[in-house]
This record gives sequence, structure tokens and C-alpha cells, in this order.
Amino acid sequence: MIAISSIELQQFITAVKSHSGYDFSEYSDKSLKRRVAKILTDYKMDLPGLIAQIKNDKQQVEKVVKDVTVNTTELFRDPNIWQLLKHSVLPKLAHQSTINIWHAGCSTGQEVYSMLMVLNELNLLEKARIYASDLNTDVLDAAQKGIYKYRFNASYLDNFDKVLKENPLNYDDFRDVPYSKYFEIDKTKDIIKMNSFLAEKPIFKKHDLVRDGNIFYVKFDIIICRNVIIYFNYALQNKIFDLFYNNLYNNGILWLGMHESIMGPFAGKFEKNNQFYHKKEVVFSI
Amino acid sequence: MYKAIVIGGSAGSFQVVTKILSALPKDLNVPVLLSLHRLKHVRSGFLEALMLKSNIPIIEPDDKEQIKPGRAYLAPANYHMYIELGNRIALSTEEPVNHSRPSIDLSFVTAAQAYRDKLIGIILSGANSDGSYGLQKVKEYNGLTIVQDPRECQVRTMSEAAMKLTQVDHVYTTDQIINFLLKLK
Repeated sequence: MIAISSIELQQFITAVKSHSGYDFSEYSDKSLKRRVAKILTDYKMDLPGLIAQIKNDKQQVEKVVKDVTVNTTELFRDPNIWQLLKHSVLPKLAHQSTINIWHAGCSTGQEVYSMLMVLNELNLLEKARIYASDLNTDVLDAAQKGIYKYRFNASYLDNFDKVLKENPLNYDDFRDVPYSKYFEIDKTKDIIKMNSFLAEKPIFKKHDLVRDGNIFYVKFDIIICRNVIIYFNYALQNKIFDLFYNNLYNNGILWLGMHESIMGPFAGKFEKNNQFYHKKEVVFSI
Repeated sequence: MYKAIVIGGSAGSFQVVTKILSALPKDLNVPVLLSLHRLKHVRSGFLEALMLKSNIPIIEPDDKEQIKPGRAYLAPANYHMYIELGNRIALSTEEPVNHSRPSIDLSFVTAAQAYRDKLIGIILSGANSDGSYGLQKVKEYNGLTIVQDPRECQVRTMSEAAMKLTQVDHVYTTDQIINFLLKLK
């Protein structure tokens, strides 16, 4: 294991910032140190060598940033919460004419497809507008393609069964939803490929949560940002909550990861219900 | 004088951790950080089982939660648990290290950096060598290092791996660990 000192981390952050505009200074330092250590191992390089590359090679900076920010995701990760979304949260939005949903930090898109499938099961896909963004254009490309490895992803199918077939509120309500309704499993090629009517639906766009505001110019009913802000420090998390707060409708929902919560000044502006944070109604008084 | 205790364990450590937590006083003036391997799909039940006999509250913390004395913080299933600047917990879903998430090494290394010579690191029973690198870092920062006596461990691999890498300060049985921690008060 290579250990990165705080001074070295600072040198890395400064080099990236001055040669690309990406700003990692408010990232959680412990994870960032580990990420940088990992790419040094992968690149078989030392830190001065990496910094020299960053300074001299624009394309290399992009690659480093991508490798530092890559994130893991799954279909229907934490299926119990997806069940809750399907049976309690989304039905309350069914009366609306449109439902705007933003996946902020969507990575390779598994959660985007999870959402599309749930919406379709509830007959809400037509009225939904799905926006998905990530800093890393490689993962966005992967998300847009919607092709995933079959092997090692057996949990995808278990989670699918739990979320799309079962109803935890009514055990008699079992729907035999075939996988082929949403994706094709090709065992010889070792892939799961999402059907095109799903893949064509979302608008995918590059977006840096640290620097960019709302690039979609709409307000949202739901913002999904799970296991993204854990890579940010406390101060930056609060800036992101500010961005989300201002771009949610009243009663709009910010959906965070299992062990993420709003602790700072924004805690009082949301009503927590499991991992769903509902924006409290803003009442203007004179 | 110590500011935190960090404990790592795997197979065979559950009973030991339970025993330690049930012996610690309610007014313990340091936090206890627990980085324990568990079966991948055991998300609930583990915390509740630990809490049954514990004298101090045990929390599966949220990311950036402030660390307070007199509480135990259990690394949530499938997350790495770090100690951040400002005495906060930081969680991460990065890939497992040596097949483990939480990684005991990562919790120990970041705790060592945060608490330096004010940290007690304890490695318990386990079937792999996770934690030995972390305990070495605790020692490097002049923290106090303890391993559970391999002769008492249900699975001795983890203790022995730690002892191989580091000249540990104490090799203790569970009862000796408890007596030692109680004397710190």
C-alpha cells in the first residue's frame, strides 16, 4: 500500500486545479488519498511523476480525474428502499402531469435503469423526464449504452425480483415480471443489455457538482444522489445541499445513500423519511 | 490521556467484542471505533446483537457524523470507515481492500493519522491478515498496540499476522484487554 502524505495530496490537488479546473480541495481527504495512491499503483508511477504528467499532458489530466472519480453502483442497490420508492413514494406523484428526476452522479447508470423500470411498472414512464449527470464522460458513455457484465452481478437479478415482483405490503400481489421485458441476458457474451426503450429515455450530460449549478434548467420532483457526497468534505456537502434545495420543488425529494444524511444548516429545511429527504414547504410571510 | 480506541476483528471476534463492550463503563471518556468483518448480506441484526449487552451506545454512523466520547461506532456493512479531519467519521464504498469492506487496515491507518500517540489499536481473532498493516501504522505514530492472544483466539491468523509485522506492546487475553482498558480511567 502506498501512503500519500497531506502535503503530497495538496500538491496533487493544486496541479489538477491549475491544469484542468477540476477542484478536489473539498473532497474527503482520506478517500482522495486512497484514490491517488491507487492510481499511482495502477500507473506504476510515483507522485512527482504523476504531477509532471498532469502539468504537461492535458489528456492525461482528464484520465487522472476520471480514474480518481470512478464510482461503483448496482441495479436496485438496497432493494428495501427501492420497494419503498415503488410502493409509497412514487404513487404520491402519479397525479402530476410530469415528474422530473435528476440522477446526480449517476456513474455507469444502473440506478437510472432501476428507476426507469420502476416507473414503467407504475405506468409513470411516459410522464417522467429523466436527467442523469456525472463528472466522468467514460461512465456516462457506459450509462448511455446500458450494457453490464453478467458475471459477478447475480445480485442484480435477486434485487430485480424483490423490487419488481414482490410487494412487501401485500404478499398476494406477486407479479411475474420477466427480465426480458427490460433487458437481454447473453451468457455467452457475458452481458446484460438494457432494452432500447429504456436506454433512449434519459438525457445524459456531463456535470461537475463542485463547479456547475443546475445545467438542466428545470426544477425537480426527485434528486437522486446516493453514495456521491460521501466523497466530499462536510463544507462541500453543505454547498451541494444548497444547490439541491434550490432546485427542488416544494415537497420535492432528495434521495441520499444508506449512510448519508443532512446534518448541517440544511437539516431543518428537509423532512426526513428513511433516506428520502422532503423539502419543506417554503411559506412566505410579510 | 488516550483519545480513542480502535478495534478490528473478523471470524471469532464477535463474542470478544461483546464482552469488551459489556465491561466498559457507561461514562467512558473516549470513543470506540469498531471495524469488524461480517457476512456480506448481514445488514441488520449484527448491531442489535452487539447492543444487547453493551454498556455504551453503539452507532452505525452516517457519513461525516461527529465522533463523541462514550460511544462505539460500528463500520456499516459494505462501507469502509475512515476517521476524517475535524473528528468526523467518513464512509466510502470504494472497492474492497484484501477482499474486505469494511477494511480494518483503512480504519486503523486513518485513526492513527488522526489520533497519533493518543490511540489504542486492538486486533482480535480473525481468519485473514487484514489489520496488520493498520496496526503497524498505529505503532509508527506511537499509539499503543494490543493483539488478542493467539492461543485464546478462535481463529488465530489475524493476531499472528499483526504480531509478525509489528512489535506489539501487549499480547492479551480478552480479560486482560478488559482489565487494561478499565485501568485507563
